[in-house]
Amino acid sequence: MIRVEQLRKQFGSVTAVNGVTFTAENGAITGLLGPNGAGKTTTLRMLYSVMRPDSGSIKVDDIDAIASPHDAQGRLGVLPDGFGLYPRLTAREHLEYFGELHGISGPALRQRTKELLDLLDMNAIADRRTAGFSHGERTKVGLARALVHNPQNVLLDEPTNGLDVMSTRAVRTIVRRLKEEGRCVLFSSHVMQEVSALCDSIVVIAHGQVVGRGSPDDLRQHTGHDNLEDAFVALASVDRGVRE
Amino acid sequence: MSVARSLRQIAIVVRKELKDSLRDRRALWSIVFSVSIGPMIIGFMMNRVADRQREAEQVRVPVVGTQYAPALVDWLRQQSGVQIVEGPQNPEEAVRNQEEELAIIIPKDFAKTFNQSKPAVLQIVADSSRNDARPRVERVRRLLQQYGAEIGSLRLIARGVSPSASQPLVLEDIEVSTAQQRAAQILTFIPMFIMMAGFVGGMQIATDSTAGERERGSLEPLLVNPAPRLVFVGGKWLAAALAAMVSTGLTTVLCAILPRFLPLEEMGIRFRIGPEHLTGIIGAALPMCLFSAALQSAVGTLARSFKEAQSYMGVLVLMPMIPGVLGALYPMGNAPWMYATPMLGPYVLLTNVLGGQTPAINAFLISAGISIVAAAILVRITATLFESERIIFGR
Repeated sequence: MIRVEQLRKQFGSVTAVNGVTFTAENGAITGLLGPNGAGKTTTLRMLYSVMRPDSGSIKVDDIDAIASPHDAQGRLGVLPDGFGLYPRLTAREHLEYFGELHGISGPALRQRTKELLDLLDMNAIADRRTAGFSHGERTKVGLARALVHNPQNVLLDEPTNGLDVMSTRAVRTIVRRLKEEGRCVLFSSHVMQEVSALCDSIVVIAHGQVVGRGSPDDLRQHTGHDNLEDAFVALASVDRGVRE
Repeated sequence: MSVARSLRQIAIVVRKELKDSLRDRRALWSIVFSVSIGPMIIGFMMNRVADRQREAEQVRVPVVGTQYAPALVDWLRQQSGVQIVEGPQNPEEAVRNQEEELAIIIPKDFAKTFNQSKPAVLQIVADSSRNDARPRVERVRRLLQQYGAEIGSLRLIARGVSPSASQPLVLEDIEVSTAQQRAAQILTFIPMFIMMAGFVGGMQIATDSTAGERERGSLEPLLVNPAPRLVFVGGKWLAAALAAMVSTGLTTVLCAILPRFLPLEEMGIRFRIGPEHLTGIIGAALPMCLFSAALQSAVGTLARSFKEAQSYMGVLVLMPMIPGVLGALYPMGNAPWMYATPMLGPYVLLTNVLGGQTPAINAFLISAGISIVAAAILVRITATLFESERIIFGR
């Protein structure tokens, strides 16, 4: 479970995240929905401790992620936005490297690697170097690598961005499966359909603030729009309407 | 986070970086190149010196107009190593086009002037901008002067004057730049090449694991792993330092094998790197590898891109050359402050060790201590840079 309260982050004069508060439950898929530049990636980066918030609190399974970032990181599986791979290492070696850094080794690591390679249908590419992998294959490696230590909480930053239909489906299948296993999945996207198809709960972010929250149905009711996309547009442009 | 766990994680990072770079052809070639370039240059230069020494004795002299001064030509022919050949049609053209290194022109009226005991003109055609021909031109010039002096003496004797009256001065050349000394000077480059190997050997890993990691976007996912930044930086630094140490070792071994294939005996030079030198070389060079790898990791982390990092490395690589070049120009002493200077200390130590005088153990300890402290500070700084959001995400 991830609990975020009053998170703030400023870059120079720009406030990227301005008091974001939400909770992502176990056994549920929470969608972080917002237009580009809304502060989704910055929020996630603070969650997985590569950025330090200016203020606010982050709890990962009741661990204070700001005071003990490494303990929190041990309970997180992360697929960052625009992540990179090592072109000279094979897919399997990527999993092993991160698994070892998480303290898994020997037969346990081999077993876990095999499970993930099977799960993501990666056996054909497992022992190939990742240079020249397609976008879908790279995403699978990134995803498998994020899950190698069996994390209770999974953060995915725009995981389906630019993926073809088949790969998108594979990602969705994994995400649903993680939910069934009782994990907490937090998933950011700017694509409406994506979020409405998958998520149990949606947090809409615009201009660094939470502008709406709830199940897809709640949001429709709240905004008075039947169509979730219209609801999203209505929420995302609340204060922008004044300026434009 | 326990120390044991951090150490284990450092070892994991080291192993990954080494495995990764062993698959990098460019990295491997840069190591092979850095390891072998020094010994190759030394071998090449030594052979040149030996050849030059042999060549200077052998001189081919094209003479135009041999028929006008048969006595002179005969005399030249009798000098050792001199080979007289018929001169080309246009000697100046031939020398200018480098077909000949020199030519002697004997004018038609040579015999007439000569027999009248007037100064007879001889022309030497040479290109003074050609350094390689200079020793032979000089030799021919000296031979002709010697011939002139002999004839002059004979004429004075014939007139009842002592030849020494016309020779108020005797000039003696004492040539210091002998072949031996030139060869010995080349060998003084060995410390520099050993240091260069250390410097270049770690460069590719240091660049690829910092600037390269950032540019590929693989740094962010790496930092999501639960470990202090010092673990990642320490692992990357140690991997680069290990590669540097291996390069240093290989160059040393090559430099030790090399003299066996060089004509050192022929030039009267005694030089060998034996097992007794190896501890000294290791003690001097390996701590330097820790320092150079730390410096390269720090610079690679600061660079905005892989390209930028590489251009900085090109400048950094001059560092180990500075003491080498200075050392070749000015003889350096053994002042204590030298051992306490990061790149200079190892250089002075290596020079001493290879020169056959083993420095005091304290000198080694000071030099190693300074390198290690400087490396630790740089690694600490790099770890701080790895905390910075500007470094992690800034491109």
